[in-house]
Amino acid sequence: MAAPWSGLRARLRKFARPRDPEALPALLHRGRVYVLPTRFGLFFAVLLCAMLMGALNYNNNPALLLALLLAGAGLASLIAAQMQLTGLSVVALDAEPVAAGQPLQVRVHAKAGPERARRGLRVDDDGDSDADARLDLDGGSGQAELSFATQRRGWFELPRLRVSTTRPLGLARAWGYVWADAPLLVYPAPEAHGPPLPAGSGDQVLSRLHPSGDDVHHLRAYRPGDARRAIAWKPSARRDALLVREYEQPLGADVVLDWGQLPAMAYESRIARLARWVDEAERDGRRYRLRLPGQPELGPGSGAQHRHACLRALALLPHG
Amino acid sequence: MAKRASSPALDASSRRWTLLAAATCLLPLLLQLQPGMAVLIAACGVVIAALSWRRPLNGFVRLLLALLLIGTVLVQMRFGLGRDTGCALLAAMLAIKPAETASLRDARSLIGFALFAPFGTFLLDQGPLSLTLGLIGALLSLATLQRLAEFESGERERNESHARRLLTILRLVGIGLPLALAVFWLFPRLGTPLWGVPDRAVSRPGLSGSMTPGGWAELMNDETPALRVRFNGPAPLPPQMYWRGPVLWDFDGREWTQTRWYRGLPAAEVEPAAAAWDYEIELEATDGRQLVALDLPTRAPRDARMSIDHGLYVAKPLTALTRWRMRSAPPARYQAQLPRVMRDAALELPAGYNPRTLALAQRWRSEAGSNDAAIVQRALGWVRREFAYTLDTPLPGRHAVDEFLFDYKAGYCEHFSSAFVVLMRGAGIPARVVTGYAGGYRNPIGDYWLVRRSDAHAWAEVWLPQRGWVRVDPTAAVAPERVYDTLADRAPGAALFGGLGATPIFDLGDWARRGWNDFVLGFDANRQQTLLRPLGVDKLDTGRLVALFGVAAGLTLLWMVWLSSRGERERDPVLRAWHALGRRYRRLGLEREPHEPAGHWAQRVAARRPDLGPALSALSQRFADWRYAVAETGRRDARDKRELIRALRAHRPGPNGEGR
Repeated sequence: MAAPWSGLRARLRKFARPRDPEALPALLHRGRVYVLPTRFGLFFAVLLCAMLMGALNYNNNPALLLALLLAGAGLASLIAAQMQLTGLSVVALDAEPVAAGQPLQVRVHAKAGPERARRGLRVDDDGDSDADARLDLDGGSGQAELSFATQRRGWFELPRLRVSTTRPLGLARAWGYVWADAPLLVYPAPEAHGPPLPAGSGDQVLSRLHPSGDDVHHLRAYRPGDARRAIAWKPSARRDALLVREYEQPLGADVVLDWGQLPAMAYESRIARLARWVDEAERDGRRYRLRLPGQPELGPGSGAQHRHACLRALALLPHG
Repeated sequence: MAKRASSPALDASSRRWTLLAAATCLLPLLLQLQPGMAVLIAACGVVIAALSWRRPLNGFVRLLLALLLIGTVLVQMRFGLGRDTGCALLAAMLAIKPAETASLRDARSLIGFALFAPFGTFLLDQGPLSLTLGLIGALLSLATLQRLAEFESGERERNESHARRLLTILRLVGIGLPLALAVFWLFPRLGTPLWGVPDRAVSRPGLSGSMTPGGWAELMNDETPALRVRFNGPAPLPPQMYWRGPVLWDFDGREWTQTRWYRGLPAAEVEPAAAAWDYEIELEATDGRQLVALDLPTRAPRDARMSIDHGLYVAKPLTALTRWRMRSAPPARYQAQLPRVMRDAALELPAGYNPRTLALAQRWRSEAGSNDAAIVQRALGWVRREFAYTLDTPLPGRHAVDEFLFDYKAGYCEHFSSAFVVLMRGAGIPARVVTGYAGGYRNPIGDYWLVRRSDAHAWAEVWLPQRGWVRVDPTAAVAPERVYDTLADRAPGAALFGGLGATPIFDLGDWARRGWNDFVLGFDANRQQTLLRPLGVDKLDTGRLVALFGVAAGLTLLWMVWLSSRGERERDPVLRAWHALGRRYRRLGLEREPHEPAGHWAQRVAARRPDLGPALSALSQRFADWRYAVAETGRRDARDKRELIRALRAHRPGPNGEGR
């Protein structure tokens, strides 16, 4: 796009409400829905102006009426576009935390009054990424799922989201911004290759699990970070999805994941290694504790809750 | 180019809509072009659309096609630049455009340009067919834009029925209509065009500044309206209805033409007769500059000049329908003193033509002595006795008047008037040919007179001492019924439908057409200024007009917002009637709350207004049953529904006292 145009866009964006993150639910009321002609709308307007000039010059009233009717319908479509959005509210945002580098799938939940049909709504971030999704409001509520690329661990700064539509005629875009103050967490990216889990503390016996045999407890869906050898290939082929063997809960062999006992290595690498160990311990069904400098020890424990607490603590470590 | 690549490729449904809309827009324009050209362009359009159905044509092929077609059009139009050529080029380009309609962006630009086709059509023709087709094309184009917007917002498959889509468009147009009309009436008009109005490259035959005997055969069969007249007060009798157009003085043996030199001279003096007619004339576009007026106009209307022979001229070609307020009176004495130079002009004949006619004229002159009137009477008597009226005449040879007078003795007004004037001039009586229209058809609906192009007529004026110019119509001496055209058997439509029964339909149709002319086509700067005359504002000056325009535009915009924000109409008629019923209780302060169940509301009302309670309880019970109980299916159900709706609508709570 040409430079002056994008400059204008940037300035418009700065003026648009909301200018700060806000608490959800956010209602798109009349004051914060904007309507501007699309590029095609501008082209259409130029065509209509040419028609108007011609019709006025020749004092040709049917031609004038035609141009005016089209202009009237166009204006009505501007209003209709705005009406598609006003009264819509974004109720909530949520996302499953992912490791940095993985796309974060953000679900935007919206609802709207039943007074009129709302069609062709889209949600995007009005920026450089191509996060863009349809928002279908069936019976007053619906959701859109946006995918954002993540780079670093910690709180994900959700950009200001744009809910927009060009319906009904594509001549104008109506849009409103929602800048949710919703915390979305990105876990640290686990180390790709590294040493295995440290040995369990004290007398507890590490019972390595048999990769095959009768003690397979059940199969579960593959999660990033699962070891290759844990994948149950045959059932996976039958089900068309990767399945992983889940083994019987081994008996207490607490692993201590201690920041202080890691060999001297870079700050972020330590975090990555601990993150991988957390995943590994979780995968192996071990109880583990996490000791981070200046924080109370987490654990011992296992399970989704504990894993989340550990990864969260790692994710929120100050950036070095 | 990068942008084009990024525009998504069209799906089949959108493409069908786009091509259909473009074809519909193109159709009325094609009907206005010359038939050969129209067929060529239409064929090209169909072939190109078929060839490029799967994928767009190669760029080189496209360029070649465009050059070929545009070249053909230009050659066909003989490189004349005008509205016709412009419109033909537009049609040709529209026919080629489908060759590259592959993406959303292409489809939108095609629709944008296609909308120019109805616009161009209206510049050429404003008949009901063009208007209807143009409107349909525009609506379809809007519906296509809607389909394209759906496609853009990610709905690849058709998700709305065609009817629903058209309904949405009609709703949008309906919401925009008040604004369009307000702007139409109030947008300041140009008194004079900014740029010249190009003439039609190919003009329709009509009254022009010249006449070749035998040349009007086509015109005499053209039943389209030429003018409509409404008299303020009494109307003249049909034999007095001579609508005067170009007066032709110069004859070169074949063609009668106007001379230019006298145009600037002031009108000749006239002693009017006592009777005078005040009327308003509505003239269809002619592309000429001459007005037509009842014999004889007493003064030129505003913006027109009167020449010495009482022809009325305007500065710009009459490319659109115009309306003129005029006053005419039959002359008692018309130019009693004929200046010598005009006398000479009215006696001039080309040398070496029509020797037999000249010989006859000279014989009559020697027999009549100085009595001009006797010669006129003798000629009329001869014509009445021996001549016949026919539209089938052979092509004239060199001595056209001789052949007509002595060989065929049959023809129509052009032959009669031309031969008569030559005969008179040969006898030394100043004479000239006058063309225009004669007669008219009175439309009882709306009480106005319709003059069609087929009423075109030519007659003679001879100059007699003491009396001045006198109208002589040799055609009327032979076939008055062909001239005055007021008889029922000449009523339009009668020939088509074989009886009088069909004429009211025609009357009604033409009356509607006249109304449309009145309100739409003939609306211009002058009429705009008198828009508020019924409200006591005599003349709207530009400042007031602009202010009024601003206010009206603002109000209609607000109205549009209100209309749109009312939300979509409830589709279920029962629910609609139920909600309306609830609203009717608002005046009593007993409106149903949105969350309130029907029965609860009825109880609440009954507590406050015992007189209304029973009726409302019964209604709410019926409503609740219909809505929530499992209804029987089929015919009975539909009838119940209708009855329920009727009952809901009939219930009107009074402020106090009686409930019904």
